Amino acid sequence: MSEWLVILSSSLIIGALCGFGAGAGVARMFHAPKVQGAGAFRTLGELNACENDPIAHGSFGLGFFFNSWATVVGSGALTGDVDHRIIPHWAAALSLWRNKNLDETLHNPRRMAWLGAIVGAVLVAFLNSTATAVPEGLRSVAGAVLGPASAWLLNPVMPAIFWLAAIDAGRRAGAWGTVLGGLAHMVFGNAVPGIVLGIVIAKGVDDLGWTRVTRSITVAVALLFVVSGFLRGVDVTLLTQLNLSIPDWLAELHRVTGTGPSK
Amino acid sequence: MAIDTRITRKEKLQPWQGGFWLSELAFPIFIAALCAGVFAGTHMFYVYGTGLFNEIAIGALLQQGFDGNGYGAAAAFGAGFMLARIIEGPMVGILDIGGSIQTGVGIGIPAMLMSVGITAPLENFWLALAVGAVIGLGMGFLILSIRKATVASSGAQSTFGADVMMGAGNAAGRYLGPLIILAAGSASLPVGIGALIGAGLFYWWKKPLAGGAILGAMAAGAFFSIQIPA
Repeated sequence: MSEWLVILSSSLIIGALCGFGAGAGVARMFHAPKVQGAGAFRTLGELNACENDPIAHGSFGLGFFFNSWATVVGSGALTGDVDHRIIPHWAAALSLWRNKNLDETLHNPRRMAWLGAIVGAVLVAFLNSTATAVPEGLRSVAGAVLGPASAWLLNPVMPAIFWLAAIDAGRRAGAWGTVLGGLAHMVFGNAVPGIVLGIVIAKGVDDLGWTRVTRSITVAVALLFVVSGFLRGVDVTLLTQLNLSIPDWLAELHRVTGTGPSK
Repeated sequence: MAIDTRITRKEKLQPWQGGFWLSELAFPIFIAALCAGVFAGTHMFYVYGTGLFNEIAIGALLQQGFDGNGYGAAAAFGAGFMLARIIEGPMVGILDIGGSIQTGVGIGIPAMLMSVGITAPLENFWLALAVGAVIGLGMGFLILSIRKATVASSGAQSTFGADVMMGAGNAAGRYLGPLIILAAGSASLPVGIGALIGAGLFYWWKKPLAGGAILGAMAAGAFFSIQIPA
Protein backbone atom coordinates (compact mmCIF):
# COMPACT_ATOMS: atom_id res chain seq x y z
CA MET A 1 0.00 0.00 0.00
CA SER A 2 2.84 2.38 0.77
CA GLU A 3 4.30 1.74 -2.70
CA TRP A 4 0.95 2.81 -4.14
CA LEU A 5 1.19 6.09 -2.20
CA VAL A 6 4.74 6.67 -3.46
CA ILE A 7 3.57 6.13 -7.04
CA LEU A 8 0.64 8.50 -6.49
CA SER A 9 2.70 11.34 -5.01
CA SER A 10 5.56 11.00 -7.50
CA SER A 11 3.06 10.98 -10.35
CA LEU A 12 1.46 14.21 -9.12
CA ILE A 13 4.83 15.97 -9.32
CA ILE A 14 5.76 14.41 -12.68
CA GLY A 15 2.39 15.24 -14.20
CA ALA A 16 2.47 18.83 -13.00
CA LEU A 17 5.95 19.40 -14.44
CA CYS A 18 5.07 17.83 -17.80
CA GLY A 19 1.76 19.67 -17.99
CA PHE A 20 3.40 22.99 -17.18
CA GLY A 21 5.98 22.62 -19.93
CA ALA A 22 3.60 21.13 -22.47
CA GLY A 23 0.91 23.77 -21.86
CA ALA A 24 3.32 26.66 -22.30
CA GLY A 25 4.97 25.02 -25.31
CA VAL A 26 1.64 24.40 -27.02
CA ALA A 27 0.47 28.00 -26.51
CA ARG A 28 3.81 29.20 -27.89
CA MET A 29 3.29 27.05 -31.03
CA PHE A 30 0.57 29.50 -32.08
CA HIS A 31 3.21 32.24 -32.10
CA ALA A 32 5.70 30.19 -34.19
CA PRO A 33 7.85 30.74 -36.15
CA LYS A 34 8.38 34.13 -34.44
CA VAL A 35 8.62 32.38 -31.06
CA GLN A 36 10.08 28.90 -30.46
CA GLY A 37 7.21 26.60 -29.51
CA ALA A 38 7.10 22.98 -28.40
CA GLY A 39 4.55 20.29 -29.18
CA ALA A 40 4.12 18.70 -32.58
CA PHE A 41 2.72 19.43 -35.99
CA ARG A 42 -0.05 16.95 -35.43
CA THR A 43 -0.88 18.56 -32.08
CA LEU A 44 -1.22 21.95 -33.76
CA GLY A 45 -3.31 20.45 -36.55
CA GLU A 46 -5.59 18.64 -34.12
CA LEU A 47 -6.05 21.69 -31.90
CA ASN A 48 -7.09 23.67 -34.98
CA ALA A 49 -9.37 20.82 -36.08
CA CYS A 50 -11.39 21.17 -32.85
CA GLU A 51 -12.21 24.76 -33.83
CA ASN A 52 -11.88 26.12 -30.29
CA ASP A 53 -15.00 24.36 -29.07
CA PRO A 54 -14.43 23.23 -25.46
CA ILE A 55 -16.65 20.15 -25.94
CA ALA A 56 -14.73 19.08 -29.05
CA HIS A 57 -11.37 19.55 -27.27
CA GLY A 58 -12.64 17.66 -24.24
CA SER A 59 -13.97 14.66 -26.14
CA PHE A 60 -10.96 14.48 -28.44
CA GLY A 61 -8.78 14.23 -25.34
CA LEU A 62 -11.18 11.71 -23.81
CA GLY A 63 -10.80 9.31 -26.75
CA PHE A 64 -7.04 9.28 -26.27
CA PHE A 65 -7.42 9.16 -22.50
CA PHE A 66 -9.10 5.76 -22.81
CA ASN A 67 -6.39 4.72 -25.24
CA SER A 68 -3.66 5.76 -22.79
CA TRP A 69 -5.46 4.18 -19.88
CA ALA A 70 -5.75 0.88 -21.71
CA THR A 71 -2.10 1.08 -22.77
CA VAL A 72 -0.70 1.93 -19.36
CA VAL A 73 -2.77 -0.85 -17.82
CA GLY A 74 -1.43 -3.27 -20.40
CA SER A 75 2.20 -2.29 -20.55
CA GLY A 76 3.11 0.51 -18.14
CA ALA A 77 3.62 2.91 -21.06
CA LEU A 78 1.51 6.09 -20.84
CA THR A 79 1.78 6.61 -24.65
CA GLY A 80 3.03 9.82 -26.19
CA ASP A 81 -0.57 11.03 -26.31
CA VAL A 82 -0.47 12.20 -22.67
CA ASP A 83 1.85 15.11 -23.49
CA HIS A 84 0.85 15.43 -27.14
CA ARG A 85 -2.89 15.23 -27.06
CA ILE A 86 -4.63 14.79 -23.71
CA ILE A 87 -2.92 17.56 -21.73
CA PRO A 88 -3.07 20.13 -24.58
CA HIS A 89 -6.72 19.37 -25.42
CA TRP A 90 -8.00 19.22 -21.86
CA ALA A 91 -6.08 22.37 -20.92
CA ALA A 92 -7.56 23.99 -24.04
CA ALA A 93 -11.06 22.82 -23.08
CA LEU A 94 -10.73 24.24 -19.55
CA SER A 95 -9.17 27.40 -20.88
CA LEU A 96 -11.93 28.04 -23.43
CA TRP A 97 -14.79 27.09 -21.08
CA ARG A 98 -15.76 30.60 -20.00
CA ASN A 99 -13.71 32.76 -22.34
CA LYS A 100 -13.75 32.33 -26.12
CA ASN A 101 -11.06 34.96 -26.78
CA LEU A 102 -8.20 32.91 -28.25
CA ASP A 103 -5.49 35.43 -27.36
CA GLU A 104 -6.39 35.29 -23.70
CA THR A 105 -6.88 31.50 -23.59
CA LEU A 106 -5.42 28.93 -26.01
CA HIS A 107 -2.70 31.26 -27.27
CA ASN A 108 -1.80 32.48 -23.77
CA PRO A 109 1.26 30.58 -22.49
CA ARG A 110 0.72 31.58 -18.85
CA ARG A 111 -2.85 30.34 -18.66
CA MET A 112 -2.11 27.17 -20.64
CA ALA A 113 0.96 26.39 -18.50
CA TRP A 114 -0.93 26.52 -15.19
CA LEU A 115 -4.00 24.68 -16.53
CA GLY A 116 -1.66 22.13 -18.13
CA ALA A 117 0.05 21.59 -14.77
CA ILE A 118 -3.30 20.91 -13.07
CA VAL A 119 -4.51 18.58 -15.84
CA GLY A 120 -1.14 16.82 -15.96
CA ALA A 121 -0.93 16.22 -12.21
CA VAL A 122 -4.42 14.74 -11.97
CA LEU A 123 -4.10 12.76 -15.19
CA VAL A 124 -0.69 11.15 -14.61
CA ALA A 125 -1.51 10.37 -10.97
CA PHE A 126 -4.78 8.73 -12.04
CA LEU A 127 -3.20 6.71 -14.86
CA ASN A 128 -0.25 5.43 -12.84
CA SER A 129 -2.13 4.67 -9.63
CA THR A 130 -4.94 2.79 -11.36
CA ALA A 131 -2.64 0.93 -13.77
CA THR A 132 -1.02 -0.95 -10.93
CA ALA A 133 -4.47 -1.90 -9.56
CA VAL A 134 -5.81 -3.57 -12.72
CA PRO A 135 -5.79 -7.39 -12.92
CA GLU A 136 -2.99 -9.08 -14.84
CA GLY A 137 -5.31 -10.82 -17.31
CA LEU A 138 -6.73 -7.56 -18.60
CA ARG A 139 -3.26 -6.07 -18.91
CA SER A 140 -2.11 -8.89 -21.14
CA VAL A 141 -5.06 -8.40 -23.50
CA ALA A 142 -4.22 -4.73 -23.91
CA GLY A 143 -0.57 -5.56 -24.46
CA ALA A 144 -1.35 -8.24 -27.04
CA VAL A 145 -3.58 -5.89 -29.02
CA LEU A 146 -1.78 -2.57 -28.67
CA GLY A 147 1.75 -3.93 -28.90
CA PRO A 148 1.60 -5.12 -32.52
CA ALA A 149 -0.61 -2.21 -33.60
CA SER A 150 1.78 0.47 -32.36
CA ALA A 151 4.79 -1.46 -33.65
CA TRP A 152 3.20 -1.51 -37.12
CA LEU A 153 2.39 2.18 -36.90
CA LEU A 154 6.00 2.98 -36.06
CA ASN A 155 7.27 0.73 -38.84
CA PRO A 156 6.33 0.52 -41.69
CA VAL A 157 3.15 2.67 -41.67
CA MET A 158 4.61 6.02 -40.57
CA PRO A 159 7.71 5.76 -42.79
CA ALA A 160 5.42 5.06 -45.77
CA ILE A 161 3.17 8.03 -45.00
CA PHE A 162 6.07 10.44 -44.56
CA TRP A 163 7.76 9.02 -47.65
CA LEU A 164 4.69 9.60 -49.83
CA ALA A 165 4.28 13.10 -48.36
CA ALA A 166 7.90 13.87 -49.30
CA ILE A 167 7.38 12.56 -52.84
CA ASP A 168 4.20 14.63 -53.22
CA ALA A 169 6.03 17.75 -52.02
CA GLY A 170 8.15 18.07 -55.15
CA ARG A 171 11.01 16.31 -56.90
CA ARG A 172 13.74 17.69 -54.64
CA ALA A 173 11.93 16.75 -51.42
CA GLY A 174 11.13 13.35 -52.89
CA ALA A 175 14.74 12.69 -53.82
CA TRP A 176 16.24 13.83 -50.49
CA GLY A 177 13.50 12.10 -48.53
CA THR A 178 14.00 8.84 -50.42
CA VAL A 179 17.78 8.75 -50.04
CA LEU A 180 17.91 9.87 -46.39
CA GLY A 181 14.83 7.80 -45.50
CA GLY A 182 16.37 4.62 -46.88
CA LEU A 183 19.67 5.32 -45.15
CA ALA A 184 17.92 6.18 -41.88
CA HIS A 185 16.10 2.85 -41.92
CA MET A 186 19.44 1.08 -42.10
CA VAL A 187 21.24 3.37 -39.63
CA PHE A 188 18.54 4.19 -37.03
CA GLY A 189 16.18 1.32 -37.68
CA ASN A 190 13.41 3.76 -38.64
CA ALA A 191 13.09 5.83 -41.81
CA VAL A 192 11.01 8.70 -40.38
CA PRO A 193 13.86 10.84 -38.97
CA GLY A 194 15.70 10.58 -42.29
CA ILE A 195 12.67 11.51 -44.37
CA VAL A 196 11.92 14.47 -42.10
CA LEU A 197 15.49 15.75 -42.40
CA GLY A 198 15.34 15.18 -46.16
CA ILE A 199 12.23 17.35 -46.36
CA VAL A 200 13.88 20.02 -44.18
CA ILE A 201 16.95 20.17 -46.45
CA ALA A 202 15.01 20.05 -49.72
CA LYS A 203 12.41 22.64 -48.72
CA GLY A 204 15.13 24.88 -47.31
CA VAL A 205 16.96 24.72 -50.64
CA ASP A 206 13.69 25.26 -52.55
CA ASP A 207 12.99 28.45 -50.59
CA LEU A 208 16.46 29.84 -49.93
CA GLY A 209 18.86 28.15 -52.38
CA TRP A 210 22.24 26.80 -51.30
CA THR A 211 23.03 29.44 -48.67
CA ARG A 212 25.26 29.18 -45.63
CA VAL A 213 22.22 28.11 -43.61
CA THR A 214 21.15 25.24 -45.86
CA ARG A 215 24.75 24.11 -46.33
CA SER A 216 25.38 23.94 -42.59
CA ILE A 217 22.11 22.03 -42.07
CA THR A 218 23.19 19.51 -44.71
CA VAL A 219 26.61 19.09 -43.10
CA ALA A 220 24.99 18.63 -39.67
CA VAL A 221 22.67 15.96 -41.08
CA ALA A 222 25.54 14.16 -42.81
CA LEU A 223 27.52 14.19 -39.54
CA LEU A 224 24.48 12.85 -37.69
CA PHE A 225 24.30 9.88 -40.07
CA VAL A 226 28.03 9.16 -39.94
CA VAL A 227 28.25 9.36 -36.13
CA SER A 228 25.07 7.34 -35.55
CA GLY A 229 26.23 4.77 -38.10
CA PHE A 230 29.51 4.34 -36.26
CA LEU A 231 27.79 4.15 -32.84
CA ARG A 232 25.49 1.39 -34.06
CA GLY A 233 28.34 -0.44 -35.77
CA VAL A 234 26.78 -0.15 -39.22
CA ASP A 235 30.26 -0.04 -40.76
CA VAL A 236 31.17 -3.40 -39.22
CA THR A 237 27.85 -4.96 -40.23
CA LEU A 238 28.26 -3.74 -43.81
CA LEU A 239 31.81 -5.09 -44.13
CA THR A 240 30.75 -8.43 -42.66
CA GLN A 241 27.79 -8.75 -45.00
CA LEU A 242 29.98 -7.87 -47.99
CA ASN A 243 32.20 -10.79 -46.95
CA LEU A 244 35.12 -8.43 -46.37
CA SER A 245 37.45 -8.65 -43.41
CA ILE A 246 37.29 -5.93 -40.74
CA PRO A 247 40.55 -3.98 -40.42
CA ASP A 248 42.19 -4.38 -37.01
CA TRP A 249 42.23 -0.64 -36.30
CA LEU A 250 38.47 -0.42 -36.91
CA ALA A 251 37.71 -3.40 -34.69
CA GLU A 252 40.00 -1.90 -32.03
CA LEU A 253 38.29 1.50 -32.30
CA HIS A 254 34.88 -0.11 -31.77
CA ARG A 255 36.20 -2.16 -28.86
CA VAL A 256 37.75 0.88 -27.13
CA THR A 257 34.64 3.05 -27.56
CA GLY A 258 32.35 0.17 -26.58
CA THR A 259 30.30 0.52 -29.75
CA GLY A 260 29.29 -2.09 -32.27
CA PRO A 261 26.38 -3.79 -33.98
CA SER A 262 23.48 -4.46 -31.61
CA LYS A 263 22.09 -7.95 -31.65
CA MET B 1 4.17 62.92 -26.33
CA ALA B 2 3.83 62.46 -22.61
CA ILE B 3 0.75 60.31 -23.07
CA ASP B 4 2.57 58.12 -25.61
CA THR B 5 5.39 57.22 -23.25
CA ARG B 6 2.98 56.40 -20.47
CA ILE B 7 1.02 53.96 -22.61
CA THR B 8 3.80 52.27 -24.52
CA ARG B 9 6.53 52.01 -21.92
CA LYS B 10 4.79 51.69 -18.56
CA GLU B 11 1.93 49.37 -19.49
CA LYS B 12 2.72 45.76 -18.83
CA LEU B 13 2.51 43.40 -21.80
CA GLN B 14 -0.05 40.62 -21.51
CA PRO B 15 1.36 37.05 -21.56
CA TRP B 16 0.07 36.49 -25.12
CA GLN B 17 1.63 39.71 -26.42
CA GLY B 18 5.19 39.17 -25.29
CA GLY B 19 7.15 39.52 -22.07
CA PHE B 20 8.52 36.60 -20.09
CA TRP B 21 6.05 33.90 -21.21
CA LEU B 22 6.87 34.36 -24.90
CA SER B 23 10.53 35.24 -24.40
CA GLU B 24 13.51 33.25 -25.64
CA LEU B 25 14.74 32.83 -22.07
CA ALA B 26 11.54 31.15 -20.91
CA PHE B 27 11.87 28.38 -23.51
CA PRO B 28 14.65 26.40 -21.77
CA ILE B 29 12.67 26.62 -18.52
CA PHE B 30 9.59 25.03 -20.08
CA ILE B 31 11.74 22.38 -21.73
CA ALA B 32 13.48 21.71 -18.40
CA ALA B 33 10.09 21.16 -16.70
CA LEU B 34 9.02 18.74 -19.44
CA CYS B 35 12.33 16.86 -19.42
CA ALA B 36 12.33 16.55 -15.62
CA GLY B 37 8.85 15.03 -15.75
CA VAL B 38 9.58 12.69 -18.65
CA PHE B 39 12.91 11.50 -17.23
CA ALA B 40 11.30 10.87 -13.86
CA GLY B 41 8.58 8.97 -15.73
CA THR B 42 11.26 6.63 -17.03
CA HIS B 43 12.47 6.25 -13.42
CA MET B 44 8.91 5.19 -12.47
CA PHE B 45 8.86 2.68 -15.32
CA TYR B 46 12.20 1.27 -14.19
CA VAL B 47 11.27 0.96 -10.52
CA TYR B 48 7.48 0.38 -10.54
CA GLY B 49 6.83 -0.80 -14.11
CA THR B 50 4.44 2.03 -14.97
CA GLY B 51 4.57 5.66 -16.07
CA LEU B 52 6.79 5.71 -19.15
CA PHE B 53 5.90 8.67 -21.39
CA ASN B 54 6.07 6.70 -24.62
CA GLU B 55 4.47 4.09 -26.86
CA ILE B 56 4.54 0.38 -26.04
CA ALA B 57 6.82 -0.47 -28.95
CA ILE B 58 9.47 2.05 -27.89
CA GLY B 59 9.08 1.11 -24.24
CA ALA B 60 9.78 -2.47 -25.31
CA LEU B 61 13.17 -1.37 -26.65
CA LEU B 62 14.11 -0.02 -23.22
CA GLN B 63 12.61 -3.01 -21.42
CA GLN B 64 14.88 -5.21 -23.55
CA GLY B 65 17.82 -3.42 -21.95
CA PHE B 66 16.37 -3.70 -18.42
CA ASP B 67 16.06 -7.45 -19.02
CA GLY B 68 19.78 -7.67 -19.77
CA ASN B 69 19.67 -7.84 -23.56
CA GLY B 70 21.66 -4.71 -24.28
CA TYR B 71 20.77 -1.04 -24.56
CA GLY B 72 22.17 -0.52 -28.08
CA ALA B 73 18.84 -0.43 -29.90
CA ALA B 74 17.15 1.91 -27.42
CA ALA B 75 20.15 4.25 -27.19
CA ALA B 76 20.62 4.55 -30.94
CA PHE B 77 16.90 4.90 -31.63
CA GLY B 78 16.40 7.53 -28.93
CA ALA B 79 19.55 9.51 -29.61
CA GLY B 80 18.97 9.47 -33.37
CA PHE B 81 15.43 10.78 -32.99
CA MET B 82 16.55 13.39 -30.47
CA LEU B 83 19.33 14.78 -32.68
CA ALA B 84 17.01 14.87 -35.70
CA ARG B 85 14.34 16.73 -33.73
CA ILE B 86 16.83 19.14 -32.16
CA ILE B 87 18.04 20.07 -35.64
CA GLU B 88 14.51 20.27 -37.02
CA GLY B 89 12.86 22.07 -34.07
CA PRO B 90 14.49 25.49 -34.28
CA MET B 91 14.08 25.58 -38.07
CA VAL B 92 10.35 25.02 -38.11
CA GLY B 93 9.68 26.87 -34.84
CA ILE B 94 8.07 23.84 -33.19
CA LEU B 95 10.13 21.39 -31.16
CA ASP B 96 8.57 17.94 -31.46
CA ILE B 97 8.32 16.86 -27.83
CA GLY B 98 7.62 13.27 -28.88
CA GLY B 99 10.91 12.73 -30.66
CA SER B 100 13.14 15.07 -28.70
CA ILE B 101 11.91 14.68 -25.14
CA GLN B 102 9.74 11.57 -24.84
CA THR B 103 11.95 9.38 -27.01
CA GLY B 104 15.28 11.21 -26.70
CA VAL B 105 15.31 12.16 -23.01
CA GLY B 106 12.88 9.44 -21.91
CA ILE B 107 14.45 6.49 -23.77
CA GLY B 108 17.73 7.38 -25.48
CA ILE B 109 19.55 9.12 -22.62
CA PRO B 110 18.49 6.60 -19.93
CA ALA B 111 19.60 3.79 -22.26
CA MET B 112 22.98 5.47 -22.78
CA LEU B 113 23.42 6.01 -19.02
CA MET B 114 22.45 2.43 -18.23
CA SER B 115 24.73 1.00 -20.93
CA VAL B 116 27.76 2.56 -19.23
CA GLY B 117 26.55 1.43 -15.80
CA ILE B 118 25.14 4.70 -14.40
CA THR B 119 21.96 3.54 -12.69
CA ALA B 120 21.49 6.10 -9.89
CA PRO B 121 19.40 8.64 -11.91
CA LEU B 122 16.88 5.92 -12.73
CA GLU B 123 16.74 4.58 -9.18
CA ASN B 124 16.21 7.79 -7.25
CA PHE B 125 13.15 9.97 -7.90
CA TRP B 126 14.66 13.31 -6.87
CA LEU B 127 17.91 12.66 -8.71
CA ALA B 128 15.85 11.74 -11.81
CA LEU B 129 14.02 15.08 -11.61
CA ALA B 130 17.30 17.00 -11.27
CA VAL B 131 19.07 15.14 -14.08
CA GLY B 132 16.05 15.61 -16.36
CA ALA B 133 15.90 19.34 -15.61
CA VAL B 134 19.60 19.82 -16.36
CA ILE B 135 19.27 17.92 -19.65
CA GLY B 136 16.25 20.05 -20.51
CA LEU B 137 18.02 23.33 -19.80
CA GLY B 138 20.91 22.22 -21.99
CA MET B 139 18.60 21.19 -24.79
CA GLY B 140 16.64 24.45 -24.59
CA PHE B 141 19.73 26.62 -24.89
CA LEU B 142 21.13 24.41 -27.67
CA ILE B 143 17.92 24.86 -29.66
CA LEU B 144 17.95 28.62 -29.15
CA SER B 145 21.55 28.82 -30.36
CA ILE B 146 20.77 26.73 -33.48
CA ARG B 147 17.79 29.00 -34.04
CA LYS B 148 19.99 32.09 -33.86
CA ALA B 149 22.42 30.58 -36.36
CA THR B 150 19.84 29.42 -38.88
CA VAL B 151 16.31 30.82 -38.95
CA ALA B 152 17.06 34.19 -37.45
CA SER B 153 19.84 34.79 -39.97
CA SER B 154 17.82 33.62 -42.96
CA GLY B 155 15.07 36.11 -42.10
CA ALA B 156 12.51 33.33 -41.72
CA GLN B 157 11.84 33.12 -45.44
CA SER B 158 11.49 29.37 -45.29
CA THR B 159 9.48 27.09 -43.05
CA PHE B 160 11.67 24.14 -44.11
CA GLY B 161 8.73 22.02 -45.18
CA ALA B 162 6.79 22.36 -41.91
CA ASP B 163 3.49 22.14 -43.78
CA VAL B 164 4.48 18.86 -45.47
CA MET B 165 5.41 17.25 -42.17
CA MET B 166 2.28 18.58 -40.45
CA GLY B 167 0.14 16.90 -43.09
CA ALA B 168 2.00 13.60 -42.78
CA GLY B 169 1.85 13.72 -38.97
CA ASN B 170 -1.91 14.28 -39.05
CA ALA B 171 -2.36 11.42 -41.50
CA ALA B 172 -0.30 8.98 -39.41
CA GLY B 173 -2.59 9.15 -36.36
CA ARG B 174 -5.58 7.99 -38.42
CA TYR B 175 -3.95 4.63 -39.16
CA LEU B 176 -3.96 3.50 -35.53
CA GLY B 177 -7.66 2.56 -35.43
CA PRO B 178 -7.58 0.03 -38.30
CA LEU B 179 -4.23 -1.33 -37.07
CA ILE B 180 -5.65 -2.01 -33.59
CA ILE B 181 -8.63 -3.88 -35.07
CA LEU B 182 -6.24 -5.98 -37.18
CA ALA B 183 -4.05 -6.75 -34.16
CA ALA B 184 -7.11 -7.65 -32.08
CA GLY B 185 -8.37 -9.98 -34.81
CA SER B 186 -5.00 -11.70 -34.90
CA ALA B 187 -4.90 -12.07 -31.10
CA SER B 188 -8.15 -14.03 -30.89
CA LEU B 189 -11.54 -14.07 -32.57
CA PRO B 190 -13.61 -12.92 -29.54
CA VAL B 191 -11.18 -10.06 -28.93
CA GLY B 192 -11.33 -9.15 -32.62
CA ILE B 193 -15.13 -9.11 -32.58
CA GLY B 194 -15.06 -7.00 -29.41
CA ALA B 195 -12.71 -4.52 -31.05
CA LEU B 196 -14.97 -4.34 -34.13
CA ILE B 197 -18.06 -3.62 -32.03
CA GLY B 198 -16.22 -0.97 -29.98
CA ALA B 199 -14.81 0.70 -33.06
CA GLY B 200 -18.18 0.62 -34.78
CA LEU B 201 -19.88 2.29 -31.82
CA PHE B 202 -17.16 4.96 -31.57
CA TYR B 203 -17.45 5.62 -35.31
CA TRP B 204 -21.21 5.99 -34.92
CA TRP B 205 -20.61 8.51 -32.09
CA LYS B 206 -18.05 10.31 -34.29
CA LYS B 207 -15.13 9.47 -31.96
CA PRO B 208 -11.69 8.20 -32.99
CA LEU B 209 -11.85 4.50 -33.93
CA ALA B 210 -8.77 3.64 -31.86
CA GLY B 211 -10.34 4.30 -28.45
CA GLY B 212 -13.41 2.19 -29.17
CA ALA B 213 -11.37 -0.65 -30.62
CA ILE B 214 -9.20 -0.84 -27.50
CA LEU B 215 -12.12 -0.70 -25.08
CA GLY B 216 -14.01 -3.34 -27.09
CA ALA B 217 -10.98 -5.61 -27.24
CA MET B 218 -10.42 -5.32 -23.49
CA ALA B 219 -14.08 -5.90 -22.67
CA ALA B 220 -14.05 -9.06 -24.77
CA GLY B 221 -10.67 -10.10 -23.38
CA ALA B 222 -12.00 -9.86 -19.83
CA PHE B 223 -14.44 -12.71 -20.57
CA PHE B 224 -12.44 -14.71 -23.12
CA SER B 225 -8.81 -14.71 -22.03
CA ILE B 226 -6.22 -15.09 -24.77
CA GLN B 227 -3.05 -17.14 -24.89
CA ILE B 228 -0.06 -14.86 -25.23
CA PRO B 229 2.61 -16.43 -27.41
CA ALA B 230 5.81 -16.46 -25.39
